[in-house]
Amino acid sequence: MEFNSCFDIIGPIMVGPSSSHTAGVVSIGKFIYDLFEEHPDEAHILFCDSFAETYQGHGTDKAVIGGLMGMGTDDSRIKNAFENAYKAGMKVIINVTKKCDYYDHPNTVIISAKYNYQFVKVGGVSLGGGVSKIFMINEKMVDIPVSGDNNPLKRKDLIMYDRN
Amino acid sequence: MIEINSMHELLQACRREKSTIGEIMLQMEGNKSGKETSTIFDMMKERLWTMKQSVEKGTKDDSIAPSGISGGDSVKMVDYINRGEALSGHLIGDAMSYSLAVSESNARMDVIVATPTAGAAGILPGILFSIHKNNNIPLNNLVMGLFTASMLGYVIANRSFISGAAGGCQAEVGSATAMAAGTIVELNGGTPEQAVHATAIAMKSLLGLVCDPVAGLVEVPCIKRNVIGTSIAFSAADIALAGIESRIPCDEVIETMYNIGKEMPGNLKETALGGLAMTKTGQEVKQKLFRRWCHNE
Repeated sequence: MEFNSCFDIIGPIMVGPSSSHTAGVVSIGKFIYDLFEEHPDEAHILFCDSFAETYQGHGTDKAVIGGLMGMGTDDSRIKNAFENAYKAGMKVIINVTKKCDYYDHPNTVIISAKYNYQFVKVGGVSLGGGVSKIFMINEKMVDIPVSGDNNPLKRKDLIMYDRN
Repeated sequence: MIEINSMHELLQACRREKSTIGEIMLQMEGNKSGKETSTIFDMMKERLWTMKQSVEKGTKDDSIAPSGISGGDSVKMVDYINRGEALSGHLIGDAMSYSLAVSESNARMDVIVATPTAGAAGILPGILFSIHKNNNIPLNNLVMGLFTASMLGYVIANRSFISGAAGGCQAEVGSATAMAAGTIVELNGGTPEQAVHATAIAMKSLLGLVCDPVAGLVEVPCIKRNVIGTSIAFSAADIALAGIESRIPCDEVIETMYNIGKEMPGNLKETALGGLAMTKTGQEVKQKLFRRWCHNE
């Protein structure tokens, strides 16, 4: 069962316009911010499938960037996430692809992020209603819910170090 | 420990515990999360409060969304309803105005509550604040109404889907409308059985509805589908309160929604590659916006 609480159904409190394409994605970006305890210096964002088709209209790009900047789903600054990232000096590259190689769901995003000499590659899926989970970290399949207030991870263990 | 996997189990639990649907949700949430009932109630109250603010702000805001394809309609609707000319009367008329207000706010990237999704965020606040105003249902009862709605949505979400990308608009506006119908019944003193029949009846009316947003935006036709959803919810509630039953049990309706969603082509599931998104006007809007995005970013 993917939905465990009444607040998975009534909620999240969020900025629009789409719980799956905006709110759920903020949580995926925020996962990386929480890993680094800082916004990355650089993030490569790959939108797959439905995300690839509609990310601009749903503000999915702003949502993932807002999350990477440490914002929560109800942060009204998400509207201006691009300006925020630019001012903070976070470099963002966005690409799209038809199908996700790792996970069969239309709402998937792969983010490769760097902070100092640390590097992490994360796959996230937004399941609808703002509920999302991480399904891949550094090519290893995982199953970590990231929406709501249950983030049980020892984050430091997950980061790889970039040889460069 | 209660766990509800179907509407059938839900109704059994209501009979066993002599409880409403909302009370069962509250009890189950307490069981699962270990939180105090009062804490859970307050968390839900916070969501109701946010909805109230979206309604109040949205009914006064006639600004246009960044896309340029929505906005300004809720103010028109409020004026029209206030003139007392609405064919559907104040109860449905106010619900439509409030629903428009929240869905337009959503398109402006303002703060809303996903119920169960942002694309369908207008329907529950629409019906709730209309029955608050017109049927004198107190705000605390509306909080219980949100527990009713979430219980119904919980079953739907776990047995089927609630996002347009996964199952089409039937999963999104369809689920929200179904949740709203059952909630209206319970808030107006109907039995849990009647609430579940209303849920089934509302969902049946929206089976097969595709998700075809113009330019991929949660605006056209999503906003107006939210508005219409409120009136379907009231109709379904009235049918159930009259003692009329859904001939197909609710669990089977939900299963049907799932099966239809699985068979629905990808073009019609929020990819903006089919339906209204592919009309001449829809394509023109898309091209215009795409040019703008390319210039800005």
